[in-house]
Amino acid sequence: MDLYLPIAEMSVNAPLLIALGAAVGFISGLFGIGGGFLMTPVLVFMGIPPAVAVASLSNHVAASSFSSVTAYSRRRMVDFRMGGVLAAGGVVGAILGVEAFRLLRLLGQADLVVAVSYLLFLGVIGALMLWESLGAILRSRRGEAAPPRRDRRPILLYALPWKMRFPKSRLYISVVPPILLGLFVGVLSAIMGVGGGFILVPAMVYLLRMPANVVVGTSLFQIVITAGLTSVLQAGRNQTVDIVLATLLLIGGVLGAQLGAKASARFRAEELRALLALIVLLVGLRMGLGLFIQPDDPFVLVAGVG
Amino acid sequence: MLLAAAPPPQPPAAVSATLTETDVRVTSGFRGARISLYGAVFDRSGRPSDVVVVVRGPVQTVRIARKMRVAGIWLNSRPVVFEGAPGFYRAASTRPLQDIARFGQLRKLGLGLDHLAIAAPAERRVETRYGVRDMVVSALGEDYYAWRGAVVRLKQTAGLYSADADGVTFVDKGLFLARVDLPAAAPIGQYTARVLLFQDGRMISDRTLPLKVEKVGLERAVYLLAHRRPWLYGLVSALIALGAGWAASRAFRRS
Repeated sequence: MDLYLPIAEMSVNAPLLIALGAAVGFISGLFGIGGGFLMTPVLVFMGIPPAVAVASLSNHVAASSFSSVTAYSRRRMVDFRMGGVLAAGGVVGAILGVEAFRLLRLLGQADLVVAVSYLLFLGVIGALMLWESLGAILRSRRGEAAPPRRDRRPILLYALPWKMRFPKSRLYISVVPPILLGLFVGVLSAIMGVGGGFILVPAMVYLLRMPANVVVGTSLFQIVITAGLTSVLQAGRNQTVDIVLATLLLIGGVLGAQLGAKASARFRAEELRALLALIVLLVGLRMGLGLFIQPDDPFVLVAGVG
Repeated sequence: MLLAAAPPPQPPAAVSATLTETDVRVTSGFRGARISLYGAVFDRSGRPSDVVVVVRGPVQTVRIARKMRVAGIWLNSRPVVFEGAPGFYRAASTRPLQDIARFGQLRKLGLGLDHLAIAAPAERRVETRYGVRDMVVSALGEDYYAWRGAVVRLKQTAGLYSADADGVTFVDKGLFLARVDLPAAAPIGQYTARVLLFQDGRMISDRTLPLKVEKVGLERAVYLLAHRRPWLYGLVSALIALGAGWAASRAFRRS
């Protein structure tokens, strides 16, 4: 059954898109991630204009994160105060990111920046995660204990002004690092069509030193606000949000995420992380590949004026 | 248009045509459309006739960039804007166009992919050169034909431009048929189908038929809202997304 997407102005196979949404949803439920970094490249490979894919994905990410954040909030695993501070930065970042993306489209460089961002961020984070989780797997095979975690908190968190108390995270730190982190992730989410959890979660653990039990819920809370706003801005400024596309992905995505979350209990955490790291790394490399291979045709049509 | 050499005054040859569909409706199941054009040549002289059918879509500005290798990485050049290019173009004829009429004639009428009028790039500078003021300098210069060729080639790859030297067939004496396939990616808007009758390398008669491709129903409502009230559309779609997310979490909590 083919369905015509009114904004992308193309005809797609609806069951295929729903299945795709389910597959990515399953992976995101399995690993507890948003999955935007996986979905955007797949949509682009299917021939959906990158600008429409990125913008519609932010709508989809807002929906799927909202469905998960309610579950975390019921279990009191969201630090709303920290999430609010992150989101304050995220709102500014989303506005900057959407404007930057608009400018890049006019200059014909949007594809380049998307490819470089994927290669850089997914490549680096995937490689780091793979290294760390392979080390953990090897240690557990050999029966060694994990190395003791350095518990000294970075001095920067305390030296900066405007300190704030975050009782839920048991932190008393400056608001500057979380605001900057939110801003950075907001820009990335507008440009890459991702929620940004793959950057937020490690940053919250290793930089802000938040307790592990509130990290995922809090990052989801920030993602709902940033992605929701990005989706409104993309629609308002660029007219690139395809609600039919987002809804199709959502139908499959919600089902897949629930199944993935159930399946995740069967695997060991380190092995899951290693697998996720491999996926992240491969997607980053695949998106960056186009930068280095000679194109079939030296000319390309540049989409979107105004 | 009367032929000077004919001693008994004959009525000039004429062409007439009609489309099987003048209103293509883009609905949620739209996968492209096939339209037939039927026409007749009225000619008592019995001279060999050639028919050319040109279907043009609404004008769409084309932006195109060239990939260049810089330090091992393929980068896009600054995009060049071509104005006046039709969003859809199909030239169908009874024979190859170069056998039907001469170069100058085809160029004048804009027939065929080689002669399709695409305005020069907008990226031009006006400057003083060789002591002459206000000279228009195209930024493309000699590369112009490479760029223009690329516009046509990329549109052909996308299925939006085509030329078919057997696209018009005479089904009976004086009665011809042409098929026009609109792909799903065909732009929305006002199209024209121009039917031209050629005899001895000259255009004798022509007809222009309107054709409209429009979105209807839900597709139209969504498209119009997204483009006329983009902020409202953005808010509504964000609320739909949040509502769907909330409904999903409720549904799965119960089960």
